Parts: sequence; structure tokens; C-alpha cells
Amino acid sequence: MIRQECLELLAGKMTDQLVVTSQSGQRIEWSHLSQHEGNLLLGMMGCAVGVGMGLALALPHRKVIVLDSDGSVLLSLFNLATLGNLRPKNLIIYVFDNGVYSGSRISYPTATAGNTDLEAMARGAGIKKALTIRDIETFKNEALRALEQNELAFFVCKVEESLLHREIPRPNTDLAENKYTFVRYLERTEGKPIPFIGRG
Amino acid sequence: MKDELAKRLVQGLKNSGINFVTYLPETRLSQIIPLIQDDPEMELIAAASEQEAVTIAAGGTLGGKQAAVYMENTGIYVSSYSLLTVGKQLGVPILLVVGYLGGVPDQRNSFLYATIGSHTIPVLQGLGIEYMILEDGDKLEDKIKDAVRAANALRGPFALLFAGEFSL
Repeated sequence: MIRQECLELLAGKMTDQLVVTSQSGQRIEWSHLSQHEGNLLLGMMGCAVGVGMGLALALPHRKVIVLDSDGSVLLSLFNLATLGNLRPKNLIIYVFDNGVYSGSRISYPTATAGNTDLEAMARGAGIKKALTIRDIETFKNEALRALEQNELAFFVCKVEESLLHREIPRPNTDLAENKYTFVRYLERTEGKPIPFIGRG
Repeated sequence: MKDELAKRLVQGLKNSGINFVTYLPETRLSQIIPLIQDDPEMELIAAASEQEAVTIAAGGTLGGKQAAVYMENTGIYVSSYSLLTVGKQLGVPILLVVGYLGGVPDQRNSFLYATIGSHTIPVLQGLGIEYMILEDGDKLEDKIKDAVRAANALRGPFALLFAGEFSL
């Protein structure tokens, strides 16, 4: 299974969900597949789950999806404990676990290439619906079905390392531009002003 | 901190529009936690790390809340990465309500805290985060309002460092 085929299936299911990505290959691949205004393409590792959690708590009626990587989750493992206690029902986290730091350019292995099991860690932290997915059929049956359910889900999608993201155009949207597009989209779809925009 | 001061601090946050607070507890200002918890108009979210508390607050702000993070100043060091990335780089207003442990005006300062306190302001300055030090309840509500307005205008974090009477 490669990340791109999972993302293609996911993109086909998108309507008004909010999607937060961390800085790694899936940010580039997702931005290529989806130009939806509800995409927040973060430019850093280890922050997407936290930001997604904040969005999910602030907007409990909206489905929030986080696209993350093994390296990013390992950088912010404290998120698991907080998720396991808060259990926001409208949040789904897809961790594309390729077992390497692709950005290192030497495919340096992450802890999940060794003895570390993110699903077991998530379960131990209190996340009930935590599942490792190893093939595309299970991704369709479990990971996509979760979009129709109302429960915190944490999917560890075991994918082969793919360098496809280096062959497709990188998003040219500035971080601030992306933020304002996202916030304006929320203002429009939620029908209420976002306080910090304010008047000029 | 006297109970009356804790109540004024929380009321000041409310009056400034703060309705989403992430936190890790500490010693100096901890009386504010039950007050926020009991307030139906404020959402209180326990985090496992200040770095996480900042990212959750950022998500709350982007989702339409007016967010604050309550932490000890050691949390500034722990969360400097997310303060810089989601706070400064992405440009998300977040009020930092900080127990200024080990600062010169900390009334419970000791050799355990002084080194920690002495680096707080240089680190905030290094991160480009503006701040205000509060040592008593004089114009407390106005100062909190000023800080929230500044965070929104700056599109970034703004730190309120509580010491003096707040650290008793």
C-alpha cells in the first residue's frame, strides 16, 4: 500500500470536512489531490494533531481529519494521552507510517521501523478505536467507513516509502494565505465571524 | 494568590472574550483552574505538555474561539517550538497566562527557580513574543483586555507574566 492511493480514496469522500496536514510528503500529495478551502496545510512537524484537536473541540459538529506521519506523531507523543482522555468524537487521525524520515533524504528509520507500535501506544493511552491498516481493502473498509461514524479514530496506515511527493508540484500557497482562506471558509460555512480577524 | 485576585483574573479573561483555555497546572496561579472549570461559558482543556497546549489553543483560535494557554514559565521553554511555528509563523493569536516562577518579583523565588526565571524574558524576546509583567491587581482587567487586543492585532502569542501578589 502506498500513501497516494489512500489519499486518492480519501479525497473522493471529501465534502465539508476540515483537513489538517503536517509537514511531510502527505502535505504535498494532499494539496495536489485537493484544493478545498477547508484544507489547512501546516508547515511543521508535530503540530497537526494538536491543531486538529483544537479545531475538533471548537467545532464539535464538524468532522476534522488529520493527515500525519510516523515521524510527526513520534515528535508529539503526548498527544496520544490527551486524545485518549478527551476522545473528541468528530476527529479522525490517519498516520501514514512508512517507517522512515523521508525528509532526511537517506530514508533514516523511525522507531516504528524497530520495536515501536503506534496502535498499541494509542490504545494504551486510552484511544479505543486505534487500528493498524496494512492493505488497501482494509483501508476502504475501516478507515473510510470511519468518516460516517461519530467516534475518535486513530489509524496507523502502514505504507511503503514512496518518493512520489518529490515528483509532483509542491503547494505554492503561503502559510498565512492558506490560514486566511481556511478561516474565511469557516466564517462562511459556520455563519459567524472569527474573532481575531477583526476590523482594519 | 488571594481568592479575590484569582476571581478577578478569571473574570478579566472572560471580559476579554477568552472562552477556550488549555493548560498544564503549576503552583502560582492554580486557583484559576476550578474557577474556569465551573464556568459554563469557558472551555478548559487539560494538555499533557505545554507544546501541545499551544497547538490545541491554535486550533481553537482558528475554529473561532478566543484562546488562552495557562502555564508556568518553564512551559515557555517546552513550547517554544509550537509558539514559533503555529504561533508566530502561521500567525495565530494566543494569550499566554504565565506563572512567572523565579523572576525577580516572584515572592516565592529560591535557588530552585531563579535560573529558570532569569531566562524567561530573553527567550520571549528571542521568539519575538511581546509580554507584560503583572505584579498586583491594579487595572488587572484593563491589562488583560490590552493583552488580548494586542495578540489579535499582532496575529500571534502575547504573554502575561504573573508575579508579585499573584505569586503569594
